[in-house]
Amino acid sequence: MKLEVLSRSGNIIATLDVNPDAPVAELKKKFYGLKKKYYPARQRFTLPLKPGEKRGTVLDDSKRLSDYGLADGGKVEFKDLGPQIGYSTVFFWEYFGPLVVYPLFFVLPKYLYPHLEAPKQRHLVQKVAVAYWCFHYAKRIVETFTVHKFGHATMPIFNLFKNCAYYWGYAAYVSYFVNHPKYTPPNEKMSMICLGLALLMQLGNLRSHIILSNLRKPGEKDYKIPRGFLFNFVTCANYTFEIWGWLLFSAAVQSIPAYLFAITGALQMTQWAIAKHKRLIKTFDGKEGRPKYPRRWIIFPPLL
Amino acid sequence: MRISQAYLALYNALQACGWAAVLGSLLYGAFTQPPEQLYLAAGYLTKLVQGASLLETLHAASGLVPSSPLMTLMQWMGRSNVLFCILDPQPQLHASPWSALMLGTWAAAEVIRYPQYAAATLGACPAWLTWLRYTMFIPLYPVGVVAEMALMAAALPYLAVRKPYSLEMPNAFNWAFSYHRFIQIVLAVYPFLWWQLYSSLLRSRSKKLKLAPPKDSSKSQ
Repeated sequence: MKLEVLSRSGNIIATLDVNPDAPVAELKKKFYGLKKKYYPARQRFTLPLKPGEKRGTVLDDSKRLSDYGLADGGKVEFKDLGPQIGYSTVFFWEYFGPLVVYPLFFVLPKYLYPHLEAPKQRHLVQKVAVAYWCFHYAKRIVETFTVHKFGHATMPIFNLFKNCAYYWGYAAYVSYFVNHPKYTPPNEKMSMICLGLALLMQLGNLRSHIILSNLRKPGEKDYKIPRGFLFNFVTCANYTFEIWGWLLFSAAVQSIPAYLFAITGALQMTQWAIAKHKRLIKTFDGKEGRPKYPRRWIIFPPLL
Repeated sequence: MRISQAYLALYNALQACGWAAVLGSLLYGAFTQPPEQLYLAAGYLTKLVQGASLLETLHAASGLVPSSPLMTLMQWMGRSNVLFCILDPQPQLHASPWSALMLGTWAAAEVIRYPQYAAATLGACPAWLTWLRYTMFIPLYPVGVVAEMALMAAALPYLAVRKPYSLEMPNAFNWAFSYHRFIQIVLAVYPFLWWQLYSSLLRSRSKKLKLAPPKDSSKSQ
């Protein structure tokens, strides 16, 4: 069948001949054959807006064109998502930075605090903090390649710079003060207890990630209700553990930049968690044989 | 009329009066007093209306108006920083022509914007007022931002010596903050932040005044 590909302003960019039973991926391959600039990961196709719709239905790669009711003479709308980069690539670089940047201030105070006398001895909390920080980011890198199953393969390349600026910037900001020659350590016992608890939170976060990863079997693309462990009570239990981990780290080192980092992360995760919670409630509405999404906290009981 | 509508109309009307008073005292002062006294004439009133405008962040956060609360807060903080933390505490800047210019452009813009908001809230905004609101910003905003930056730059030597709002190590918070360094960074990013606001107003202008859409070269095919 012949499909018309329209731009967002309504002009016909191309007409493609495709099999109605072909997957959307096939359409993207053919479009790429015509327009070499737009490799498939950069292409987004939507059905024309139906009355009352603000956003057209996005065509999913794995579904067939006929699943969307597309027949001969049908129209689809094309959007260029811009240069794309793989999720794993972005995750690796954004986590690699903190792994390297934070220890720099611990190991090279002579160069990074040039006008100050380098400390003769590091406090215990500073030593354990650098170990905790590095363990955290090493764990994240390992999870990227062995645990996480990403919903999308790619993201816009601008995100690489935005995310790296955030993670690398905060790593330097926190590390600069925690490893400062004039750093004032808090009570040692309190710090060690907090860091110990923070480590437990990290393990909780890891277990949560494994549960999430096992929700979908290979090839499955539908939403699932997470169950077990803390998920029985909180939709985004993984974020709960992450937030507690950073709050405990901040309490252990007693440094404002650490708290700022924890709060900024918590705010972003909250935004994501609210969207996910709403999506799950909308999907699992209890109708037509679908289960009803249970009453759960969103991200951080007892607040939200 | 809903009570929220009445409240917003009243708030915008009061702000309009406040800024009209600021503009009035600036103009009166320009003709009757030496330049050093201009800030004395209009400064107190400006601080009052600017301080009160923090309410607009609450309006946005509560959904009373469709603006983004974060954007509203950031704009308020930008202006308030220059007014309360830079200009007000430094008497030697009060006589600067930048000070009068900044207050003048702020007042000239607000004395159009607030009445337009009030009228729009009541559903009775005349086309000429909408035109004014979406046109006068074009010359006023660039002059305003240059004046704000000039004041911040002029303040730097004072900030380096007196170090207000600053914290040095060692301290219990294990944090240091140099307001002097902070203003240097603010000066570096100010043009970019300002451009985001200005360009979004230009886009709004096209829509509100129903002009042909601006040629958008970044639009994908």
